[in-house]
Amino acid sequence: MRKRLLAAVALVAATAGVKAADLLPPFTVGYEPTNVDERGLWMDSDNRERQIRDSKLTVHDEELNRYLTGVLCRTVGAERCRGVRIYVMQVPAFNASMSPNGMMEVWTGLLLRVQSEAELATILGHEFAHFELRHSLDGFKQQRRSTNAGAWLAVLGGLSNTNTSGLQLSVIASSFKYNRDQEQAADLLGFRYLAAAGYPTSAAPDVWRHVMAEQDATAVGHGRRPKPEYQDGFFNTHPASARRAIYLEAESKKIGDTGKDDGAARLRAAIAPHLPEWLDAQVKLNDFGGTEYILEQLAGNGWSGDLLYARGELYRLRGNPRDLATSIDFYKGAIAAGYRQPQVQRNLGMALLRSGRPADGKSALGEYLRLLPGANDAKAIQALMAN
Amino acid sequence: MKKITALIAVTSILSCEPALAGNSLVSPTAQTGIAKSSLSATPDGEWNRLGRRDGKFVELWTKDGDSLNKVSFFGGVPVGEALFKEVDKKNRPLPKVSDGMLITDIPTLLESSYRIQFDVRTMTIESQEPATLGGHPGLRFAYTFVSGNDEVERKGEAFGAVVKGKLYLVSYEAPSIYFFDKDLPAFRHLASTLKM
Repeated sequence: MRKRLLAAVALVAATAGVKAADLLPPFTVGYEPTNVDERGLWMDSDNRERQIRDSKLTVHDEELNRYLTGVLCRTVGAERCRGVRIYVMQVPAFNASMSPNGMMEVWTGLLLRVQSEAELATILGHEFAHFELRHSLDGFKQQRRSTNAGAWLAVLGGLSNTNTSGLQLSVIASSFKYNRDQEQAADLLGFRYLAAAGYPTSAAPDVWRHVMAEQDATAVGHGRRPKPEYQDGFFNTHPASARRAIYLEAESKKIGDTGKDDGAARLRAAIAPHLPEWLDAQVKLNDFGGTEYILEQLAGNGWSGDLLYARGELYRLRGNPRDLATSIDFYKGAIAAGYRQPQVQRNLGMALLRSGRPADGKSALGEYLRLLPGANDAKAIQALMAN
Repeated sequence: MKKITALIAVTSILSCEPALAGNSLVSPTAQTGIAKSSLSATPDGEWNRLGRRDGKFVELWTKDGDSLNKVSFFGGVPVGEALFKEVDKKNRPLPKVSDGMLITDIPTLLESSYRIQFDVRTMTIESQEPATLGGHPGLRFAYTFVSGNDEVERKGEAFGAVVKGKLYLVSYEAPSIYFFDKDLPAFRHLASTLKM
């Protein structure tokens, strides 16, 4: 009997094995989902993609999309990248995501934060790895298994009057652990793509170092002590950034030099048309420390006019008397660096007015109205000048 | 210990029931003490006062539900206070009303608060012009915004003024398609009757 059972199990396993081996990769042109779970996920993703295509929060910029697709194709190869459609979404936070049907969302906050094309390729490669490894489908099945197991444990525990809360906790823990393991697998496959594409692989651990540094800067800006997470928390869906930096650093050392050009200049050029808008969104998040960190990273060795302007805004909006004085310096620096947008005069004028320098303030506001006579706030500015 | 606290939090979220809303009808007669402040107004039709409060200085009125049309009264937010009750004070603190605020700082304060509190991802201030609020000099401004919560484009019109160091702000917001124009006259009438 036991032998028969074993044979049956072996047969099922073998059939499953054959089935898995027969599966085409999801990036295959014209790929169709193969079973009910996968079809369901694809249907959900297709619906989401329709929404995104028509969303007011999607950045419709063909040039930028071409650049991002180019980076992805260089990273994962022309054949693989054909199965992916990239959408840039207006979200001022560091993230990207991949749907099982080949839709990739890249957030504007990510593009503002990655410091080179190689860092961008790290993230795009990571997301593509989720797609290639069918993580959404596996994660969905795992969640279903966990909730089933949890429910059965509760029922059986009730029937036998046994406390199963410890076991249920283990099931919950395993579910989160499964997610973290998927993330690590995607990190490592993404890393291999990065190396094969000839990007410097040191970019992979750097991404997570920058994430941690920004989190620390945000905490300090909010008057808190930075609390870096070195260990994965119980409910964490992703490995701790420190752990990611460490294992990717180890991989990078193992593989040696894979490229010199990190493509920082190409990335900057690609995002340049959107930089003022994305900086404006970031500055208004009341995250002084984090924003200051982002600006410093963008500035590198030199502060351009638009970065100085954004820094002036950051200080003016925090609004302490010393901040207003500092913002005046930054606005003037922006003008000296060739920043020509009229709003620099407007906001310089407002900072001067609030700093008790009405004559200088009115002069700057006057300059604003001279540069932009039809400004949509012209009447309000005139009222400020009349006071 | 942290795990237990987190579990308790998850369980309590799952088991909690919606609180009784306590909404009430606003009749077209003089309404005083709006937002627990000296604001008063006389609407020309019926509105509903929401039981939900987004902060101790805010009172919300609507006709068809606040996602379709919403009037927010901010009744005297003092220096050092935020427009709304902060959802995550530690990680996502809101900007505060500051002393020496200029009228043109009001739209930026609203925008920044919206971006943090309501996941507003794009917001454009369309126009700003001097106006009065309850007889005090202030600003009237119009804006358009999209929140990540429902990705619906909404338009807004607001009157704001800083009176004796406190910020008073009355805004009307509704989806750009159909709803904004539908109730704009009712709001403008309401705004014209505001007194302090």
